[in-house]
Amino acid sequence: MTDVAVLATDQLPGGAPGSWPRGRPYFVYALQRLAQAVVVIVLAYALSFVLITVLPGNAIATVLGNPQTGLSPAQIKNVESYYGVSKPVIVQLWLSLSRFVRGQLGVSLVTHQTVTSLIAGALPYTLKLAGTALVVALVLAAVIAYGTQYLPGKWARSVLRAAPSLFLSVPNFVIGLLLIHEFSFQLHIFDVLDPNNPVGTFFAALALAIPICAPLAEVLIANLDHESRQEYVLVARSRGLTQAKLFARHLVKPSMLPAVTIAALIVGELMGGAVITEEVFGRNGIGSVMYQAVSTQDTPVLQGVVALATVVFVVVNLLADLVAPLLDPRVRLSGGGRREVAAA
Amino acid sequence: MSIAIAPQPARRLSAAVRGVPASVLLSFVVVIIVVLWSVVPGLFTSYSAVVANPAAKFLAPSAQHWFGTDSLGRDEYARIVHGAGPSVGTALVAVGIGLFAGGLIGLAAGFIGGWVDAVLGRLVDTLLAIPGFLLAVVVVTGLGFDTLNAAIATGVSSVAIFARLMRAEVMKIRHSVFVESSYLQGGFRGYVLFRHVLPNAYRSVLALAVLQLGSAIIVIAALAFLGYGSPPPASDWGLLVADGQAYATAPWLIYGPAIVIVLTVLSINRISRWLRKTS
Repeated sequence: MTDVAVLATDQLPGGAPGSWPRGRPYFVYALQRLAQAVVVIVLAYALSFVLITVLPGNAIATVLGNPQTGLSPAQIKNVESYYGVSKPVIVQLWLSLSRFVRGQLGVSLVTHQTVTSLIAGALPYTLKLAGTALVVALVLAAVIAYGTQYLPGKWARSVLRAAPSLFLSVPNFVIGLLLIHEFSFQLHIFDVLDPNNPVGTFFAALALAIPICAPLAEVLIANLDHESRQEYVLVARSRGLTQAKLFARHLVKPSMLPAVTIAALIVGELMGGAVITEEVFGRNGIGSVMYQAVSTQDTPVLQGVVALATVVFVVVNLLADLVAPLLDPRVRLSGGGRREVAAA
Repeated sequence: MSIAIAPQPARRLSAAVRGVPASVLLSFVVVIIVVLWSVVPGLFTSYSAVVANPAAKFLAPSAQHWFGTDSLGRDEYARIVHGAGPSVGTALVAVGIGLFAGGLIGLAAGFIGGWVDAVLGRLVDTLLAIPGFLLAVVVVTGLGFDTLNAAIATGVSSVAIFARLMRAEVMKIRHSVFVESSYLQGGFRGYVLFRHVLPNAYRSVLALAVLQLGSAIIVIAALAFLGYGSPPPASDWGLLVADGQAYATAPWLIYGPAIVIVLTVLSINRISRWLRKTS
């Protein structure tokens, strides 16, 4: 059952976390990973700049040339010189990159707000959604994993075992629409026209959480399968521990490490899924800012959102990498990568 | 002569089928049907996917219209069948791009090593640093909204995953004893590459390709859902779901394409899981 999770770990920037080579002091490893993360963020910014600003032709000039922007010729000239539109691509990239390093993301071509203030305004909504989704995903994964071990009836257990692969096969916009249709239109549990109320947030988070909990549940199930065959489990049971207590005290903890290492993967999925989920549920947030930016060709905003997502993603990965060796002494002793740990 | 030969393929088929779980066989049936939809859609439906019929608006599913009809009176089943090509065929394009470009990068990095590995490694890290779906959105924005561009974007966002797996496999094989002995016996690099490295690496890369096919269908459907694929009257499955969203009184317009997407991806994932278990 681990195979999906193991394949999934190949999708992380910077290689498998915990790939800390033997015999090197931890802080040297940490500094190297930090430097690598900074380089990757800068390169990813340059890549997204090329994709967003260079590939579509001169998007900024096209948008500014539209009379509906309501800008005077002098203002257009101002914006054009800010982005260096008439200069070679490499100069534009340098201008943009040097501003990015100083934390400036430019100005929206459509709303004329700074990109940082646009993002700051939308961020709380997305954090609320993503945070709720993360909690829901963790709970769902734990419930599924617990059920596969202790649910009465072989049939029920094997149905639960199939749940993660079913969850991976359903697009999250489909889940969102089905939830809206059943729980809002049919049962009137929440109002889709007021998407930011707590119940609406819960259902949006559920739509986001279902595909995300799948790899987590698979890893937990594989670990529980392995741990519950260990002798200490038998000993603990013979000393009179109930199954629930055994699960909470002894089985969850050894499964934490693989869960931490795929947490980074989950954050990436959360950010991609937020674009769709916010659109489906009509919510405000980073995803809807990005969606608007794409449909209006607002390249500075799109660039800013992608830069933010990249920074968050790389930093979470970095943290997972730095925490993993500290969580499990086996990683320190063997110097092995996560594959061995996940399979152990 | 021909009479004697004829039963043989059939027997071989039944021998191959024996021992395969029923769910895998069912998955193959689903995938074959969907592939046929995308190759010869005309064989599966007599209705047009684009011509409107205002007299038959919003009909619920029935014997005439299996999945009902949409806001313009078009048969939803016909729209789904004709949408199979842009929804599933393009996923093959996406996986092909990931497999070819990622495979090549991983092969070069793992086999040549040294500074080539270092440079390609940074490239792969950079591609991985942007969350996959956002990268696909950015690429399709750069290329322009079109189903084929959505497929290319999906492929680009999976290049790094293939590259990383291919590199890991090649590294593993390159340092194995039989490759060393092949060099000792005077094997050229090219000979070792084609004789030993590729045949040993392709299996796990292929398993990843099948797994990626399922997620490529989902990503392409999501891009189409957001309107980044070809515009209507195209009937990409994601676009069909997005169209159905507007009509709460006709839930079959969501359920029809949604069920088809889920069944297709579920089948592909089941086959991929089975391949990985048996290989």
